[in-house]
Amino acid sequence: MAWEYSEKTKEIFMDAVHGKPGTHMGEIEHPDGIGEHGSIACGDALRFTFRVRRHPTDPLQDVITEARYLTFGCTSAIASSEALCTLIEQGGYTPVGALKITNRDIVTYLGGLPDQKIHCSVMGAEALEAAVFNWAQKRGVDLSALGIDMHAEEKEEGRLVCQCFGLTEPYIKRKIRELGLKTIAEITGAIKAGGACMSCHHKPGGLQDLLAEVWGPQPLTLKVLPTQPTPREPVAVDRATLSPYQFSKKVEKALDAYVRPMLRRDGGDVELLDIKDTVVYCRLVGACAGCGGAGMTMKLMVERTLKEMVDDRVRIISV
Amino acid sequence: MRTIYLDNNATTAVAPEVRAAMEPYFDGEFFNPSSAYDRASSAAQAIKRARAAVARFLGGVDPSEILFTSCATESLNTALYGAVRANPARRHVITTAVEHPAVFEVCKDLARSGLEVTFLPVDRAGTLDLRTFIQALRPDTLMVAIMHANNETGVIFPVEELARIAKETDPAILFLTDATQTAGKLPLDLRGALRHVDLLAFSGHKVHAPKGVGALFVRRGTPIRPFMIGGHQEGGRRAGTENVPYIAGLARAVELAQEDHDVVEARIRRLRDRLETGLLARIPCVEVNGRGAARIPNTCNISVHFIEGEGMLYQLNEHGICASSGSACTSGSLEPSHVLRAMGVPFTAVHGSVRLSLGRYNTDEDVDRALEVFPQVVANLRRLSPYWDAAHDRPRPESEAMMQGAS
Repeated sequence: MAWEYSEKTKEIFMDAVHGKPGTHMGEIEHPDGIGEHGSIACGDALRFTFRVRRHPTDPLQDVITEARYLTFGCTSAIASSEALCTLIEQGGYTPVGALKITNRDIVTYLGGLPDQKIHCSVMGAEALEAAVFNWAQKRGVDLSALGIDMHAEEKEEGRLVCQCFGLTEPYIKRKIRELGLKTIAEITGAIKAGGACMSCHHKPGGLQDLLAEVWGPQPLTLKVLPTQPTPREPVAVDRATLSPYQFSKKVEKALDAYVRPMLRRDGGDVELLDIKDTVVYCRLVGACAGCGGAGMTMKLMVERTLKEMVDDRVRIISV
Repeated sequence: MRTIYLDNNATTAVAPEVRAAMEPYFDGEFFNPSSAYDRASSAAQAIKRARAAVARFLGGVDPSEILFTSCATESLNTALYGAVRANPARRHVITTAVEHPAVFEVCKDLARSGLEVTFLPVDRAGTLDLRTFIQALRPDTLMVAIMHANNETGVIFPVEELARIAKETDPAILFLTDATQTAGKLPLDLRGALRHVDLLAFSGHKVHAPKGVGALFVRRGTPIRPFMIGGHQEGGRRAGTENVPYIAGLARAVELAQEDHDVVEARIRRLRDRLETGLLARIPCVEVNGRGAARIPNTCNISVHFIEGEGMLYQLNEHGICASSGSACTSGSLEPSHVLRAMGVPFTAVHGSVRLSLGRYNTDEDVDRALEVFPQVVANLRRLSPYWDAAHDRPRPESEAMMQGAS
């Protein structure tokens, strides 16, 4: 895979990692708004903070003067964070006004992003929303009275559809609508849902069903359903009259009574790992383990003893 | 800017000697080795010599036990599907959770078609538990497919031991090993230590031959059905006109790998160790994946905590350094390395993993340059990370706790 980033994306990333003046890496102390999105487990995470010039009487006329980010993520995640901060500072937005910035604006600013990296720009827009919500709480602004739905509840509530990235049905459906996502591949590119184990693609209530609910039924595409492996009957093995349990007991007894005392005289011992049918897996330990004659000891002493004392079909496999 | 190539587990440069060995078969001796006329005999001879060379490389096996293929993936597909089709009475396959997709995905496909597959787990160091392996063996086990060394971490599996245990348990169990990462690095003695292995696959392009040629060793008497049919080539076991120049190249490459193996290996090991020790000393909060296990001498897989791998690769790239990562962002899918996940490496450390793999053309200068650049690349990204306290150059206290709980 070669990088398919635009020159602008590359330039913004390199400026950011080198801390060039005018870039926005960092965290504002006592911010007026703070928002986070993503998690270290999902592979990218963004902490976004901003400061406003407070209006003496009307919080809705606060203006964002400074925006900063800390980002754990790939090249495009860092470039998207940088783009978000630049767009906000240049626009002289009020916090509510800043909500107009969408992931598409970030993508445009970056000169485009590869399809599978669109989620990096979405992460920026999500963190911005969360930060504005935080500002509204601090300033006592009732966003819902302004007709703005912050969807704060849908992350925690609602049926979990994508287990891998912890995404719920209401969230995924909203994103399908907002971003105009038409295929599973587009969903994965934009919000990562279905990008890891892929088990939520076609199961009932999965991504394909959510697409159908939002856009109406889609023409049927070919699905290959996995076949469940059928459990098989264990192969019956003749072990004379002894049950596997009795056989194991008899092996252990023989080892204890005849084999171990001899090995212990030389500072060694034998460890029993497993018994399958009449095959006994064991390993010499202690002084016997490194002994040049270990192979012979196993064959001549351990195997012969067990053949005599337990069953003449016993085979030893030394591990 | 000079390219510093530290991605030799992905592919290697074609050696000049290999290229020279291929050259005659493109135009002058372009003939089809199956043709009857005299002029075609040099192409047929080239295949014969190449088969003998690869047979020597694998410990002096019989040349008729070597099949030429297009790559290791084809060799592995042939071995797995071919064995399943030839042994319909047996329906159980054992493999590991850390195989290359050429085995891992085929095994998943076999499971979908009704076979049972046991994926053996590995521990934090990336090693297998022999007891678990023994427990997995069943009367209907058809095949054990376990890689010789892991492509991401370089951890070596004790294939000699595993194959012996499988064969002593039941000689009808077939043992397949993917030796793509060990060919040219570890001895592959199929008449000695590896005498219990039935099938062994490797590719040319990891040993300085070109991409597009591989080999499959099939021990005489091993029941497998051909994967490609439609011709008598390779004794009817792999149809298709032989890729004469590439096969000649593969033969020259394995000869080269044998000629100065000990010297090259010692040099690569010294470079890798210097690189690894240097990185551990210069960068806080890093760990070497697979460090507790036996590893092939060229591979160093490190996890840099609290930052993401792709951003590291991109900056290394800007300095001309080529490496790879197990991070989700570089995988094409969004899923991070299944190998590191199977080892129980915490998510965050998987995302921050970088694999540096050396080869015969690397120098001390390359290592010096990597040691100079890498710590700076890490510091750049950590300044931006919400989990890192840049002022004190250490993780934030809450991040440490998260690392513990993240696995």
